[in-house]
Amino acid sequence: MLSMKNVSKVFKTDLVETHALRDFNLEVNEGEFVAVTGPSGSGKTTFLNIAGLLEGFTHGDYFLDGINVSNLSDNKSATIRNEKIGFIFQGFNLIPDLNLAENIEVPLRYRGFNAKERQRRVQEALEQVGLASRLKHLPTQLSGGQQQRVAIARALAGEPRFLLADEPTGNLDSLMARQVMELLENINQAGTTIIMVTHDPELARRAQRNIQIVDGQVCDFTMYHQGYRHVSDINAATDIDKLVANADR
Amino acid sequence: MLHIKPILSSLLRSKSGPILLLIQIILSVAIVANASFIIQERLALMQRDSGIKESEVLTFSLFNFDPLIDKTAQNKIDQQILRGLPNVIDATSTNMLPLSGGGWSSTLKLGPDPDSTKSTPQFAMYLGTDHTIETLGLKLIEGRNFYPHELKDSLDSPSRLAIISSVLAKAIWPDESALGKVLYEGKDAQITVIGVVEKLQGAWIDSSSLENSVIQNVDYGSSSYMVRAKSEFHAELKDAIKKALLAENPNRVLDGFKSIEALKDSSYRDHKLMITVLTMMVVLLLLITSLGLTGMVMFNIQRRTKQIGTRRALGAKKRNIISYFLVENYLICLAGGVLGGLLAIQLGQQLMKIYSLPMLELSYPLFTVAGLFIVTTLAVYLPARKAANISPATATRSV
Repeated sequence: MLSMKNVSKVFKTDLVETHALRDFNLEVNEGEFVAVTGPSGSGKTTFLNIAGLLEGFTHGDYFLDGINVSNLSDNKSATIRNEKIGFIFQGFNLIPDLNLAENIEVPLRYRGFNAKERQRRVQEALEQVGLASRLKHLPTQLSGGQQQRVAIARALAGEPRFLLADEPTGNLDSLMARQVMELLENINQAGTTIIMVTHDPELARRAQRNIQIVDGQVCDFTMYHQGYRHVSDINAATDIDKLVANADR
Repeated sequence: MLHIKPILSSLLRSKSGPILLLIQIILSVAIVANASFIIQERLALMQRDSGIKESEVLTFSLFNFDPLIDKTAQNKIDQQILRGLPNVIDATSTNMLPLSGGGWSSTLKLGPDPDSTKSTPQFAMYLGTDHTIETLGLKLIEGRNFYPHELKDSLDSPSRLAIISSVLAKAIWPDESALGKVLYEGKDAQITVIGVVEKLQGAWIDSSSLENSVIQNVDYGSSSYMVRAKSEFHAELKDAIKKALLAENPNRVLDGFKSIEALKDSSYRDHKLMITVLTMMVVLLLLITSLGLTGMVMFNIQRRTKQIGTRRALGAKKRNIISYFLVENYLICLAGGVLGGLLAIQLGQQLMKIYSLPMLELSYPLFTVAGLFIVTTLAVYLPARKAANISPATATRSV
């Protein structure tokens, strides 16, 4: 589904070269739920941006759903983002002037769907997140958790191959965070690949696999928990907890 | 895809900025449409063909102070002298100068009984000679010129001849030739039309009867003269005229050398001023409107940086972002254009009532709105292109 080989990202100024990612290698299989953790400045957001084709990279190869996306034009990147990737942002990124239906329609319009198809997908997506009755509400009329569910509905409406979630519960209280996480787990169980960047060790533990990024490189701990599809190494949880705790300190 | 509905929804939900811009556009359209119409009207007035070779005809006044002089005889001698000067095409004396703002005007009767017959429209009354047509460069389209022996010395003559402008001829005898027709001055004097010139304007540019002119065969012995020569000879001709006429009789003063072109320029000075002021106003209004549009787009780009990044992340291509801003402003422009057009028509009607201006043609608001769309495109495109370059990665930044 997602394969990064020796991907590097270097930010250059006149005086300094900053290596945000160095020889970054990652394989994510179809249907996986991967949590990406790491200390601030470790390169999590850069990884997310590159994975979501939001920005380019300096070296290496990146294959997404079998397509080499290393040197795509701006238009082609936009098309792949629109058709294959669903984004969930920490700040929800809903458009305040548009109601929920119109917000969910945004990527569908860029995809060229007709009004009937858009309406069907909006309805289905809102039903999936339990907000079908709030079609005409504005984002400001919803709680944070509800707004994030709308953002998830927007991501799902395009029926993407995988979801990229950037701190999806970062702006939510624990109850709402749990609800959103349960929703993401349900989506993953329905077959959608999810990559989630998070600071929250509890959330990270609930993913099938944890990727720890430190100094722009991957420290890979495979962590299969009870209740997930491939339970095998429960001890890894202890290691990841330590790492995450250190990172947050 | 233009995505008009969500753009419209978005505009309706955050109204204050668009409403201010809308008001600006409405007022601009109303004012620009009417100002453009007035400019066009004035330009059309200025560009009317007078029928005269304006740049070639040099005019001047000659004042005799010799009490013993026979003014009529001297006038004839002076005309002969003028015609004999180098480079002169023709010359004549006249009672009035075309397009000068001053002259003679009159009406005549269509029948001998002044009480029962209709009058002609008002016309400019030139008293001229057999050289008047050639001196002014008029085009005779019917009939003939005066013969030298037909010239009269005064208006007292009861039987006179006239050459009239075609506009006047049509106004009096719309369906028949004017040649041979007789006009009456009181009970006794008869004026027979012997020729029609294509065009000859009178002296008053704002008069509705500017195109109505009559030249009568009266060599009046006036103090005004017209001399026709190519304009490049006018400077030396002026000196030659002074020298020759003062040599003939030194007890007189020559003054006011001006071409008819200069007289016309002077008469249209107020119109030119109005055109300049209105043009500046139109340009300023369009500039202010375009700055308003650019300002609002730039403000919106700053306000919506994250939103634009999000749209890009969700699959918007650069052209989608550009078209978003264009469509958004086209919608404001369209609403402003429609309302401004209606206001322009209202304003035009008020101007028509108060200042007797012609009715505003519908094409002016339409052209103004079309122009506004061009201004909008120019004002919005560059900032919109800047917006399109906002990175989709902005969506994941905490801004």
